[in-house]
Amino acid sequence: MDVLVYGLVNSAILALMAVGFTLVYGISRLANFAHGALYVLTGFVTWIFLRTLGLNYALAILAALFITAMIGALIYHAFLVRVRSLEASEIIGSFAVGLVIMEALRWRGFIGHGFAIPKFVKGTLSIGWVMVDLQRIIIIGIGLLIVICLWLFTHYTKIGLALRAIAQDEQAAMMLGMDSDRMATISLAVGSALAGVAAVVILPLGNLTVESGYQVLIYAVAVCIVGGLGSWPGAVVAAFLLGYAQILTDKFGGSHYQAVVAMAAIIITLILRPSGLFGKQKELEERV
Amino acid sequence: MGNLNEKEGVMKKKIFGLTVALTLTAVGALGGFANQAAAADPIVLGVPSARAFAEGAMTERGIILALEEINAKGGVNVGGVKRPLKVEIMDTRDLEAGVPVAEALLVVERLILDKKANFIVGGPIRTEAYNAAMDLFSKYKTISLVNTGVYSPGTAQRIAENYEKYKYSFRLTGHVGIEIGMDLPALLKGLKEDYGFDKAYIMVQDVAHARASGDIVEKLLPKWGWQVLGKKVYPTGTTDFSLGLLDAKKQGAQFLWVWIDMPEVGILMRQWADLKVPALPMGYARTAQDPGFWEQTEGGCAYLVLAVLNAGNVPTKVTPWAERFNEAWVKRWGNEPTGYSCSAPYMTVYVLKDAIERANSLDSEAVIPALEKTDIKGGVYGRIRFNPKSHDIIRKHDPNEGALGAWFQWQNGKRVAIFPKAVATGSLQIPPWLKR
Repeated sequence: MDVLVYGLVNSAILALMAVGFTLVYGISRLANFAHGALYVLTGFVTWIFLRTLGLNYALAILAALFITAMIGALIYHAFLVRVRSLEASEIIGSFAVGLVIMEALRWRGFIGHGFAIPKFVKGTLSIGWVMVDLQRIIIIGIGLLIVICLWLFTHYTKIGLALRAIAQDEQAAMMLGMDSDRMATISLAVGSALAGVAAVVILPLGNLTVESGYQVLIYAVAVCIVGGLGSWPGAVVAAFLLGYAQILTDKFGGSHYQAVVAMAAIIITLILRPSGLFGKQKELEERV
Repeated sequence: MGNLNEKEGVMKKKIFGLTVALTLTAVGALGGFANQAAAADPIVLGVPSARAFAEGAMTERGIILALEEINAKGGVNVGGVKRPLKVEIMDTRDLEAGVPVAEALLVVERLILDKKANFIVGGPIRTEAYNAAMDLFSKYKTISLVNTGVYSPGTAQRIAENYEKYKYSFRLTGHVGIEIGMDLPALLKGLKEDYGFDKAYIMVQDVAHARASGDIVEKLLPKWGWQVLGKKVYPTGTTDFSLGLLDAKKQGAQFLWVWIDMPEVGILMRQWADLKVPALPMGYARTAQDPGFWEQTEGGCAYLVLAVLNAGNVPTKVTPWAERFNEAWVKRWGNEPTGYSCSAPYMTVYVLKDAIERANSLDSEAVIPALEKTDIKGGVYGRIRFNPKSHDIIRKHDPNEGALGAWFQWQNGKRVAIFPKAVATGSLQIPPWLKR
């Protein structure tokens, strides 16, 4: 029972961490390696609004998400647009932007462990004999909500449909009048905001540290590679596979092997199915 | 007219004479000042420190506080001349992930060669980095007084086994062997006798010193009449401790040995409180030592018992100097001493001053025997003496006999010293959900 419950929580956390990364890649074919940095940035901006400026918690979160989305858009508009289609440069460039963000946070004094944002709700819930705190229940709920909203957004809104069109065939979509750069800017903004959503719901479990940006990036990349780069349903399925694999490892193997599970999953996936579970990137090559 | 010229001539001679006299006086005075300045050249303390980390920041603060106090009283008396202390701080980055030990060694070497440090105080903080730096101290015959980190008992053993080579290194802080070998049995005896606890669960981080603590405690607990119900080793960055906590709860653990030196210990404590795990958490967690930890965990750290290595790192009244130190620290830095590296760096400067004055020299060969004979009674954390063979500070539970460690418990948002008895400002409290 404890494996079921906490596996679900862990999967939701991984899905939240990864869904923004995979959305950006799926639409713009851009691997945003500043994803982890945007995650921690949202946490610290929320903290500033909350603790320093004394803003209401909900307003602080909304303002932080808006700022992160704008920074995401700026990352594309100011940097990535210049190296578009140069894959190695995109990765190095976005990683460099992420490093700048994280080092800037350190430079501004966000060092140490003294930063935390509060839980949305305090208290625990009993599921059978297993107790879970309410923040983790909220994480599951928001994870589910994000998946539903993303599906509705990409299937029923004009921008969402345009994003899908660009993702399916960029040149054909451009012939129909869609602006590829504009769509990429929007995807970076939405992807960054999703990293921010993950931050504001997950970070209240512990405290804010700049270093956690690297870990979030590693988990996001692991989930996306297993699920198939660019496929957000794949990311969700992979998050569940990895999430439960980690919890089972904790329960029956050893908790210190949890991190190995993610890395092993990347290696096994790349050997057996380089495109990932739902990826189509190299499907033809694989068939050949 | 001729008389007037004569008078003018006399006047000019007088003015010339006066000018010469004044000039000579001024030159003489300046020369005197210059001589005095040369005589009062500062004694340079090189401080290798992990500046981006609280440990490093607190080390610097402790050293600066003592240095300012000593300089305000004229400095260090060397051969009848009062010489001021000067500090040169450089970042070793040795606590940062992925930074090689060699980087810390370069910093140590630069402090000795470029900054002309007479003594090295502070770090490097990581045991691996410090142990490697011991060869540099030996090479340059420079005395090092380490007061932060370097948690391994092996460092002192190295000095004892190869005294001639490593005699330049001294340690003023505690280590894992003291906390587990000397303090923990007394604490656990109290838990067993007062509350009837005898079931333990171990949760440690997957890093060398934490794993070692878990292994040692796992071996020692049965010898002390405790039953070890389980052990979990968590990788750095773990964000969920629920399965381990639920397992501890299900099996009926009453004592939780926690050695988790990562920020995520905040998550552990929040989960422990949310799940109301009926086991008293105790151990070491750097993050949890900070006064802000209560707020971070929204009170989830209540009842957590932690080691802070030396008394003085939490407010105590163990000696009058301990009280003065706490007041001076708050006045200078605006908040209470925090972490595990405040009192030892502070005392280090006084220990060094004392040894230099007794040796009447800055020469290492003269200062080493003086340091070995150090006996400062009533220091911030008790009596300061060194083992003359291993150069490790002598630890006791009596402040009149040796240096004191300290354990505190989080109680109502405050860090209350509970062990040893000499430093205690309060008594151990047990969570209400933990049945006796």
